[in-house]
Amino acid sequence: MSQGKYDVILDTMPETGSRLEILFRQAGDGFMQVEYGREQRAMLQDSFRMLAVNDIILGKELKGLIETVPGIRTNLLHFDPSELSVDKLIEAVKEAEESMPTVDDVVLPSRLIHLPLAFEDSETKKAVAKYQKEVRPDAPNCADGYNLEYMAMCNGVTVDECKKMLLGTDWFNSGGGFWPGGAFLWPTDPRCAVVVPKYNPPRTWTPEGAAGIGGPCVFTYTTPTGGGYQLFGRTIPVFQFSCKHPMFKDGPFLYRNADRVRFHEVSEKEVVEIYGHVHDKTDYTYEIDQGEIKAKEYIEWFNSDEVQKGAAELKAKQAEGTKKAPRL
Amino acid sequence: MLKIINGGIETLVEDWPGRLGYLGKGMSASGSFDCVGLGLANVLVGNPSGQAGLEITGGFFEAEFTDDHVIALTGTDMQPTINGQPVEMWTSLKVSAGDKIKLLHIAPTGFRCYLAVAGGVDVPAYLGSKSTCIFGAYGGFDGRPLKPGDEVKFGAPSAELSSLEGRKLKPEAIPQYTNQWVLRAIPGPNTCPDYATQEGMDLLFSRVSKIQHTSNRSAYRLEELPASFFARTDGGVGGSHPSNIIDHAYAIRGALNICGNTPILLVADGPTLGGYMCALNVINADLWKVGQGAPGRDFMQFQLSSQEEAIQARQEQKQWLSEDSLA
Repeated sequence: MSQGKYDVILDTMPETGSRLEILFRQAGDGFMQVEYGREQRAMLQDSFRMLAVNDIILGKELKGLIETVPGIRTNLLHFDPSELSVDKLIEAVKEAEESMPTVDDVVLPSRLIHLPLAFEDSETKKAVAKYQKEVRPDAPNCADGYNLEYMAMCNGVTVDECKKMLLGTDWFNSGGGFWPGGAFLWPTDPRCAVVVPKYNPPRTWTPEGAAGIGGPCVFTYTTPTGGGYQLFGRTIPVFQFSCKHPMFKDGPFLYRNADRVRFHEVSEKEVVEIYGHVHDKTDYTYEIDQGEIKAKEYIEWFNSDEVQKGAAELKAKQAEGTKKAPRL
Repeated sequence: MLKIINGGIETLVEDWPGRLGYLGKGMSASGSFDCVGLGLANVLVGNPSGQAGLEITGGFFEAEFTDDHVIALTGTDMQPTINGQPVEMWTSLKVSAGDKIKLLHIAPTGFRCYLAVAGGVDVPAYLGSKSTCIFGAYGGFDGRPLKPGDEVKFGAPSAELSSLEGRKLKPEAIPQYTNQWVLRAIPGPNTCPDYATQEGMDLLFSRVSKIQHTSNRSAYRLEELPASFFARTDGGVGGSHPSNIIDHAYAIRGALNICGNTPILLVADGPTLGGYMCALNVINADLWKVGQGAPGRDFMQFQLSSQEEAIQARQEQKQWLSEDSLA
């Protein structure tokens, strides 16, 4: 390794049978980025491992470690260098990594959150109509007044099949960021991995609870805001600024890292009623199961013939769909 | 209490170091854009240096005190007056019930003025901080800039008002403003050889760039970089532009995001995560300078720094924003 003045890799750990090479990258005087592998890839198994290691790092309660911010293939560590040196921090991460030598050791606590979803509800329809009126009247992704037809077209499936895929997989939270309370939710079942382009240009308004997908990730909008994800419906509140509801007594956020979200279809009326029970009456009971992800089992299931065959079939349909769908 | 007559261009309640620990929840730290201005104003009125005060950007702020207070004004010289009479900056002053404070526009150097009041601004802390996050509309005073009719409350002073007035700073403790800000910066996490070229990094650390007029409390935009800055032809799975990568958390405050060809310094309210490479970080102790850089007028230049220097500078700043700076 050359010792140039722009060298930022402070240390490395070699690749092993169940782990990518780890790079410790300098990011200023209060941050360090831990990067997994040199290749730009988005694989859930990398995230499972990283989040399990992240739990171990946090468990050490290092004095001076302010927070960790995991992404799908990187973890950003925020620290106060007057209390914790970067060398000590690297040492702590290495220790945590070495305590999990094989994939069999990767067990990640993961809650399963059941979220009611109303497809094509009137609030998200308003957002699409507003976009067509005020931003882009000829937007091909809104041709029939909504985004589901376009989503289906991009993936070479029918609207009904597209809905089944959205309901048919658990969506894994690799970590939050970007917008308060937000989570990037990835499909755990590759046979349901809907992929769509983002709005171009973005929307100026999206209602609270809107459920959308951009690229491979689902996002449920925590507060009314702009946005670029294709909208498919509306779910219940996943964020509450006022922290009035008991679910939010420790902070305004519902989602935690490594949560899984499973949508089930309900009527729009039901979703709207739940808003009242979360924000006003504060007596709604969220349906959340405790659980865990065993990386080894997941990888075996993921690599099974049945799953891989289904995933390949979807990819073939998507290749056809991408040819037909207009670019945004 | 302070009754707002005119909130001016943008007046916000901010503290320091802001709302730490919520990047993974999509919440940047916010906080005072110039922590030196706020810190010295607080020291002058006997507050802890990170206490919440008013950050007045651009100018034209006007308000009336309803009680006796000790205040201090720091930052850019907006020609402050009390009841029409010019008053000194960088010193603590006694004001009385009924006194009206009025600020004009920014001076030829500096962009933000800070008003500290003995006892600090009394707003509820949200997630551990009184800072306003303007883009997310939370924290501070109802999550928004002050407007006419607002009534801002203050806490209890740390001492008798008479003992807090007339305090001054040592001349060397008053920061020097300029139109060309030199920001010490540490390269990373995405540099050469894998993301940028050596030539590109040399350019980034040598050129002087105008702060674009589209800059705000989330992002300070600089002049575009040439295609030769990038070592890659595209971002692979991350996207078609060589500045694209798979989404990663941003090391804010202070990360320089390369968004397409535009370098964007991610500051107070900036995004916490996204799909663009980051080439350097302004050191923590120099972040305050960004807040005094005027978009469309001032220039910025990055100077190569090291972790050792940055840690030393943090210590020096701590000392600077303490009673040691009082004359």
